[in-house]
Amino acid sequence: MEGIASTLTSWNAGITRLTGPPRATFTKLPRGSTLGQPHDKGQQRRVVRKTLGLLREEAPLEPIRLDES
Amino acid sequence: MDVLEDRDRWNAEYRHGWLAHFQQTGELDWDRYHRPTNKEVPAGPGLDLRAARLVLISTAGGYLKEHQEPFEAAHPLGDYSLRIFPTSTTFDQIAFAHEHYDHRAVNEDPEVLLPLRHLEQMHAEGEIGCLSDAVISLMGYQPDVTRVLDETIPAVISTASDMHADAALLVPS
Repeated sequence: MEGIASTLTSWNAGITRLTGPPRATFTKLPRGSTLGQPHDKGQQRRVVRKTLGLLREEAPLEPIRLDES
Repeated sequence: MDVLEDRDRWNAEYRHGWLAHFQQTGELDWDRYHRPTNKEVPAGPGLDLRAARLVLISTAGGYLKEHQEPFEAAHPLGDYSLRIFPTSTTFDQIAFAHEHYDHRAVNEDPEVLLPLRHLEQMHAEGEIGCLSDAVISLMGYQPDVTRVLDETIPAVISTASDMHADAALLVPS
């Protein structure tokens, strides 16, 4: 993004992949709970941390599937 | 590199298909809607997040309920505007205007979509160098991709640049 390294996480791999994001994690979390289940701070932190962790890598990266639901 | 490859073809399909059907009938027919598709993926260097300034970009429709107008969540053609609010905002000050996802989870725990306290803690623990002063908030129902390209994205980039962001985390709803 114009000199700003970007990363994202998505519950909708099918649609997101079509757009060609430079860095992305994909989960099986429900729509409306993109980072994790309510009050599951551990899960939310894992998703945030793994998604942000992609920023250290040069893009483009193949999206990473996380085992989070 | 264009954000959307073959923009003209997408635009023609949108205006003659999904949009024309809506204008003629008042119905939203998602079978007529063509998702934006790119074959190329943008390249860019990585960075050390411990030394970077991070901006959060959210499409959950969050806004300051006492000080900002809500997004036009019910508009069938979407809302392409931004709301900007401090990263330090407490959750009791934020409401969500977006009709295209179930709000039960975010009402119970806003951090399922807005990880403000997580990011603050990660900054305090040294995992993130710096947080931008503000969150860039959008309402993610934006069917007209050309408006996203011409209005929303330039505004996001301008805002992120003004905040001197080096990195961006996008959390869609």
